Amino acid sequence: MLAGGQSLIPILHYRLARPRVVIDINALPLGDIALDDGRVGIGALVRYHQLEESAELARRCPVLAEAARLIGNVRVRTLGTVGGSLVHADPAAELPAVVTALGARLAIASASGRRTVAAREFFTGPLTTVLAPDEIVTGVDVPAMSAHGWAVEELSRRAGDFAIVAVVALVSLDRRGHVDDARVAFGGVGDRPVHAPAAEEALRGREPTAETLARAAQAAREALDPPSDAFVSGAYRRHVAGVLCRRALARALERARPR
Amino acid sequence: MIARLVLNGRPRDVDVRPNQTLLELLRDTLGIFDVKEGCDEGVCGVCTVLLDGRPVSACLVLAAGLRGRAVLTLRGLERNGGLHPLQEAFIRHGAVQCGFCTPGMLLTTLAFLAREPRPDREAIRAALEGNLCRCTGYTKIVDAVEAYVRGHA
Amino acid sequence: MAMPDAVAARQGLRIVGQPVVRHDARDKVAAATAYAADWALPGMLHAAVLRSPYPAARIVRLDTAKAEAMAGVAVVLTAKDVPRNTLSTDVPGQTTAVGPLRATLHVLAEGRVRHQGEPVALVAAETLELAQAAVEAIEVEYEPTPGVFSPEAALAPGAPAVHGAGNLLAQWRIARGDVATALREAAVVVEGEYATQMVDAAYLEPESGVAWIDSDGVITIRLSTQVIEHFRDVAEVLQVPQNRVRVIGTYLGGGFGGKEDVTVEAYLGLLALKTGRPVKMVWTRQESLLSRAKRHPYRLRYRTGACAGGEIVAQQIELLADAGAYAYLSALVLLYSTVTAAGPYRVPAVEVDARVVYTNNPPTSAMRGFGAMQTVFAYESQMDRVARALGLDPLAIRRVNALRRGDMLPVGQVIETHVAIPELAERAWAALGPPAAPRAPHLRVGRGLACNLQPYGRIVWLHDWASAWLGFEMDGSLVVRCGCPDVGGGQASSLCQIAAEVLGVPMSRISVHVSDSALTPLAGTTTASRQLYMSGNAVLKTARELRAQLLRVAATLLGADAETLDMDDDHVVTADGRTLPISRLLAECARAGVPRSHLGVYHAPAGEPVDLARGSGKVFPDYTFGAHAAEVEVDTETGVVRVLRFAAAHDVGRAINPQSVEGQIQGGAVQGLGYGLMEEVVVDNGINLTTSFATYLIPTAADVPDVRAVVVESGEGLGPFNARGIGEPPIGPPAAAIANAIEHATGVRITRLPITAERVARGLGLLDESGAGTSAPPTAH
Repeated sequence: MLAGGQSLIPILHYRLARPRVVIDINALPLGDIALDDGRVGIGALVRYHQLEESAELARRCPVLAEAARLIGNVRVRTLGTVGGSLVHADPAAELPAVVTALGARLAIASASGRRTVAAREFFTGPLTTVLAPDEIVTGVDVPAMSAHGWAVEELSRRAGDFAIVAVVALVSLDRRGHVDDARVAFGGVGDRPVHAPAAEEALRGREPTAETLARAAQAAREALDPPSDAFVSGAYRRHVAGVLCRRALARALERARPR
Repeated sequence: MIARLVLNGRPRDVDVRPNQTLLELLRDTLGIFDVKEGCDEGVCGVCTVLLDGRPVSACLVLAAGLRGRAVLTLRGLERNGGLHPLQEAFIRHGAVQCGFCTPGMLLTTLAFLAREPRPDREAIRAALEGNLCRCTGYTKIVDAVEAYVRGHA
Repeated sequence: MAMPDAVAARQGLRIVGQPVVRHDARDKVAAATAYAADWALPGMLHAAVLRSPYPAARIVRLDTAKAEAMAGVAVVLTAKDVPRNTLSTDVPGQTTAVGPLRATLHVLAEGRVRHQGEPVALVAAETLELAQAAVEAIEVEYEPTPGVFSPEAALAPGAPAVHGAGNLLAQWRIARGDVATALREAAVVVEGEYATQMVDAAYLEPESGVAWIDSDGVITIRLSTQVIEHFRDVAEVLQVPQNRVRVIGTYLGGGFGGKEDVTVEAYLGLLALKTGRPVKMVWTRQESLLSRAKRHPYRLRYRTGACAGGEIVAQQIELLADAGAYAYLSALVLLYSTVTAAGPYRVPAVEVDARVVYTNNPPTSAMRGFGAMQTVFAYESQMDRVARALGLDPLAIRRVNALRRGDMLPVGQVIETHVAIPELAERAWAALGPPAAPRAPHLRVGRGLACNLQPYGRIVWLHDWASAWLGFEMDGSLVVRCGCPDVGGGQASSLCQIAAEVLGVPMSRISVHVSDSALTPLAGTTTASRQLYMSGNAVLKTARELRAQLLRVAATLLGADAETLDMDDDHVVTADGRTLPISRLLAECARAGVPRSHLGVYHAPAGEPVDLARGSGKVFPDYTFGAHAAEVEVDTETGVVRVLRFAAAHDVGRAINPQSVEGQIQGGAVQGLGYGLMEEVVVDNGINLTTSFATYLIPTAADVPDVRAVVVESGEGLGPFNARGIGEPPIGPPAAAIANAIEHATGVRITRLPITAERVARGLGLLDESGAGTSAPPTAH
């Protein structure tokens, strides 16, 4: 299935896959961003640059815009699609981590019908999802969470490189200024995006002091067992995940405070 | 299959293999060498062309999927046989050594400046992050773009 | 130390010293330059290479029948089809302890493969897709054999031999003074072990070329190369006379030493000869990163002794380098390391023991810096550590120890030209400006300095020479012909500037032809920072001789002494202001039978071979000295290093084209930063894990700051108008400058390259598994 081609064409070029048929789906009417009360519907063929440039999205769901800005290089952002990123399911990619943090739902269609799947259940392994061979993702439904502060932090080996670790954090405050809701997810620390409920638990209902953030980051870190590869060790990933989590929470809180 | 595109202002219909990329169409079929081949996986930027005004890696676009869209390569910048002022700025500021990254740098810069006409040096560097250069160390490329911005913004 | 007054020397120069626009820049911005792959001929075939997936194996079975039978496949070649498949080169640095005296290289593998990516077969077909499909249809059965993947393992007793005998390829030793006593009596001795990594040239233009048989039967190969003299190697491979092979070198899309050895030309020549048709070969990036020769990784062990005042009294140095599976230029690379191992400093007692060893890793060969680069990381790290131990600052220790004219290098060579190190160090340091304040509590800022020396010009006993031809057309326009390949550093353009200066012809009226082994007088390789020195001097000499030839005629026409005549702006000018248009002079030359052209040869001053161990003399013609300064910001929670500011100062003797010189300095410095911070060919038991630009990382515009190039002109150098080579020197210092800056910022000394965030994090103790998570940041210095 060819959408943006930014991942598929290198795969074909390196002969990592040799399909008999490639179906170009770019003409399908899946390129819209629909903004309703509290929800944002993003068509599978929405390009990364659209996420970056949409003024409406920047108001309603700014974490998506910030994540999109970090993806690849400018050429990837011209053609790469939301659906493509989610279906390709690179464990280090930003959008899978964002939809995991947000608790989004993916809309899936096939000849036999339609269904939706929670983002947190969609990714099952490295480059693997629950998608059946005859299914396509038509869009993703995202809670706007415009009252939340948000942040995306990532660390890579070089500018524009894929992330060694990425963290997505959203936080909202109640009237007392305590944490009302928190969403945290990681990319790059496992074989799929990792939701961090332990961190969220450590924040809910609490006063957002530096200690609280540090404890939440530590809870998140302790739940991780990232793999090592030829370039980066699991221990380093784990350590960085903790640091970036704390920083992402701090930035998200700053954005949440004015309310 | 037929690839339909508007290439540097001219509509073209070209017979292509289904798996033929835009880069292969330009270089191998049409003999247009102002787009280079550097890595074939969209990382280096030397195959940058503008698709409806936005930079893409020609090595990652299937020609048959173009559907009449506009493609601009460097020769599309020519005005009456003369150089674009940004090209003149590159020459004047020594921003060209081996020249292999130059077409991609120029097109990416022009697309960027169309959206952000008054960038500072840091923004210029961020905009060119996806175009690798191995010879110049980037300083004179940023000098050239900055000078062009000063003269034309 | 007073510096010769370069300003006075510059007076009277009209074009040399000016930042003139390079003649090739216009074509390049218009993408009108035809690089090697921008070439198509009717009936052209496309070639592909079958490469070994194993680092060490016997080839049990090789069956090309299926591939040959495929429609559209013109020919499939293996070793048996190559007229001379094995090339031999003499390897210097031989002692009785060392292995084969002659190193061999196979065009196509014969019965065995010794590294992953070693070429086994060639295909030429109607399209590239067909050629690649045919490569996959070749049936090969390999039997993997035990391999060795580090120099240490390769030297261990009983290690499998990569080639016939032992794995030690070459060894160089220097022994000068009494190192043992000096170290014993030193006030401080600093021991350090350093490791530098394998890196790739990573030029943006992959290896490419097209070959065809010309109408008079000459096998013509048009390719991207730094050495057109390889037409001789191709002739040997094909077993044809040398005058039946012509190499046309195109403007390169980068070389950096990676296009110094034979790359595609032997294959292209073979396929063109066998098929009778034009053949094109362009390596994929994956192929290039996999199998093209790399920079030697080194282990460097230093014991440096100093007295309390900071003078270095002794250096005991051990170098161990990885040659990979084939020798290529390894022995010479090691020689450069040996000669420069103690740095640009005066050291009375020096021992160097340098070895380079065969392994089944990717072969290593020439790369910008050529062995004099790896040692900079070690000797400049040592200098800073000695300074720290003695309570001296980085500038002071360099000032105390810098070589001066008349001092001797450990190898026995007396420095004959000005050494600008103290001034370069001060100016680079000052160019950083006021220190940046850390932007947050977890960030630390530090500064570091590194100096270097890099030879320019080839080893003196190689009797280097270069030739050039200059000729006037009847209308006064000038043609320059010189075999000098242009790698993108403005080589061809500098030749025009020199000709313009001497002959008074405006740059716009000069056309230059370079890099054609049949049509341009040979000028040698574009390597070793030699081309400005050699071709530049060749053009200078030829221009002066041509000028003298013409002015003898002009003297008669003008009734003046030839010595009082000048050539300027298309005219001959007398001392009293009378002028003669050049076209008139040329018409008179034609009438009188005086040639309007001249072929000249420049011979570099040669010397006798030096016995390094006895430290008996001069190895290189001269050296270029440099100093770089870096300001870095270290994130003490993640180990991420940002380079905030960078300055690079070099004494270039004279800058023929200041803009080109700055460009070389800035480009070399950024390549050096890549080496210091992010580049690494990762090889795991002979398997290359970085065969893509997504995994082999080179710096982008967002990774590096502006490089402030500080160009110093001492007016002393052996090149034209007293220039020195500047192609390689700027790549040496950055890695050490960064390492020194990181130590200044955090107290952490990184001794392995590249300096990744993880290495810094480990150095900061962030990954102690005590469960604390983040350690308290160390106190700033």
